[in-house]
Amino acid sequence: MRGVLKFVAWLCVAMAGAGALAKVAFDRGEALNATWFVVAAVCCYLVAYRLYSAFVAARLLSLDDTRATPAEIHDDGRDFVPTNKWVLFGHHFAAIAGPGPLVGPTLAAQFGYLPGTLWLIAGAALAGCVQDFIILFCSIRRDGKTLGQMAREEVSARGGFIAQIAVLAIMVILLAVVALVVVNALKSSPWGTFTLAMTIPIALLLGVYLRFIRPGRVLEASLFGVALVLFAVVAGQWVAASPSWARAFTLGGTALAFLIIAYGFAAAVLPVWLLLAPRDYLSAFIKTGAILSLAAGILFVRPHMMMPPLTRFIDGSGPVFAGKIFPFCFITIACGAISGFHSLISSGTTPKMILRESHARVIGYGAMLLESFVGVMAMVAASAMPPGVYFAINSPASIVGGTPEAAAATISSWGYHLDAGTMTNLAHAVGEQTLLNRAGGAPSLAVGMAQIFSSTIGGDRLLSIWYHFAIMFEALFILTVLDAGTRVGRFMVHELGGRVWKPLARTGWMPGILISSAIIVGMWGYFLYQGVVDPLGGINSLWPLFGIANQLLAAVALVVATTILLKMKRLRWIWVTLVPMVWLVAVTMTASYQKIFDANPNLGFLSKANSLAAQIASGQILAAKMAETQRLIFNQRLDAAVTGVLALMILVLLVEALVQWFLILSGRREAILHEAPYVATQWTRGFTGTAHGDD
Amino acid sequence: MQMQRAVNFAKHALRQFWRGLREWCGDAAYERYLRAKGRPDAERRTLTAQEFYIEQINRRYSRPNRCC
Repeated sequence: MRGVLKFVAWLCVAMAGAGALAKVAFDRGEALNATWFVVAAVCCYLVAYRLYSAFVAARLLSLDDTRATPAEIHDDGRDFVPTNKWVLFGHHFAAIAGPGPLVGPTLAAQFGYLPGTLWLIAGAALAGCVQDFIILFCSIRRDGKTLGQMAREEVSARGGFIAQIAVLAIMVILLAVVALVVVNALKSSPWGTFTLAMTIPIALLLGVYLRFIRPGRVLEASLFGVALVLFAVVAGQWVAASPSWARAFTLGGTALAFLIIAYGFAAAVLPVWLLLAPRDYLSAFIKTGAILSLAAGILFVRPHMMMPPLTRFIDGSGPVFAGKIFPFCFITIACGAISGFHSLISSGTTPKMILRESHARVIGYGAMLLESFVGVMAMVAASAMPPGVYFAINSPASIVGGTPEAAAATISSWGYHLDAGTMTNLAHAVGEQTLLNRAGGAPSLAVGMAQIFSSTIGGDRLLSIWYHFAIMFEALFILTVLDAGTRVGRFMVHELGGRVWKPLARTGWMPGILISSAIIVGMWGYFLYQGVVDPLGGINSLWPLFGIANQLLAAVALVVATTILLKMKRLRWIWVTLVPMVWLVAVTMTASYQKIFDANPNLGFLSKANSLAAQIASGQILAAKMAETQRLIFNQRLDAAVTGVLALMILVLLVEALVQWFLILSGRREAILHEAPYVATQWTRGFTGTAHGDD
Repeated sequence: MQMQRAVNFAKHALRQFWRGLREWCGDAAYERYLRAKGRPDAERRTLTAQEFYIEQINRRYSRPNRCC
């Protein structure tokens, strides 16, 4: 009887999900309510978790709770710490959820809400969650080894090297693009700049407190820090209202870029306790709070989707970024659907803390479902504003014009009505000088979030506070990604550079620290500067590059997972990782080809470079603009070269894996798994990780 | 009776939440370290709270721990 009731309940969930999804996909009547998105996403996630993840856990991985995990075997209280399932879920989610699932869907909303929403739900359930879950499992079975180590052992030494280079490439481009998002959010915004600047002294204060006064008391310090940051958000309006202070904090794109570059360098060189760690604590609390608030706000306000399901820009002529739905929707939304970077977390800290193998299902698969839900919420927030406003915020001046009147005329001519006064009034309402040409996703997401929050608490009176709260929240955790990423990148430079020049491998040698920090900051700083001076806004070229790099890493992870499954003799179910892998390779290769060779100068790097070169040759470029144009040509060619190298790495890895699979399947090579030996658990069945006497 | 049970349940839930929050944010990391069974024997001296905090964050921020 209980079984029948359960079956009926799950049938109801599945039918509700299918019904809501059909409504989202096919309804062309009045503006759709956000509730349909929430119901469609949540029901699909529940069914995917209940059925698909259970299938993967049982048939593919045969999770074994009698087997001791690395946390139990080593339990050193440092890296290997047996941790309660839900606490580790929170850890893992806080680690994987960055700006990607917020910015990507916001940018992809230029196609309309439908393609992005479908990809977020299907991509997560069938690809992203599977990747995170299986890589986590593989790492648990290998004593917490990293993706690079597993690639080296299970695929080939070259596979391991490619993984290492892919991680460095993604790191450089990721840091550049997220820094550009911050620059575009803060330029000419004294309120936003002041608030973010204040987070630095607040973090320093926390750092000193945690180092000298109450070592390791993270909770009390963070709550105090969060209160100070919230005060800084409110105080920002007084700064913006004071002419002299406002002038000091009103900065252009280039100045902001150099300040962020200097900050990244300082964060990589200074002791971790002083700036990086306390900022990360602040960011984790504010990020979690803001995401929960956004979910509650959407459920409370239930906004209507103003954006159509599909816009005219599915033809590839979009102003935010060029390119058709295939492949660019799947490149633009990486995090939220599938993100290669997650495989670094799944083979990093988490496998060393997991209590039982069966927990990998909720932590690996479940946390990624939650991240996908964050992506759906970002899509709702971006689609809840009038499309005219969305395009005015996210389009570069070179396409829509730099004044409200010009932008209104251009965007209205596309069929998305916009009055010139609307943008001026909106900018005034949120306490900004202008909201035009703020490509990057952060300001439009902040407008969407502010409208949802202010409809819940405070009304229009608090719109400007909510807007700057949202900007601070995005910028704060983007800077956390930036400083933590720069430091990790520094260690990668130590490791790779040490092969060329031995002293560079010494991580405690000050000249080595300065040189490796300068190298990593110089690399992402160059791409950032290139984005800031790009007339198309930079996001247009850098975000697809980031998407390609991220999906490359996902392809590496899925190749490793497929090879391991093959060695585990799971040939019958190999499609679970093989299909997402083939899809990612198809998406990445198509996107790379189009970004390099497409004849449309707005899309293809080389055709853009050639068109600029032709303009120089025909004398259309003024002498004063000559150097700038030459630099643009060089940047386009550099972007083409980087894309080409990334694509080439995928091909090499693929050939390497295919050879390996052929040798195993034809019996010419023995399938040797590099798993750690089985050790039986000493813990009782009911042990949950809190039995050490925590009370 | 039922009231008492509800109060106990609420107390238990709050205690669990508080414990989970401390674990999640790293507040309880030093206590965990002191209780860890697998610390190497070679490590004669137990680290102080301050030493442990510095060592722990240096290690944590030397590898990817924040995603995009």
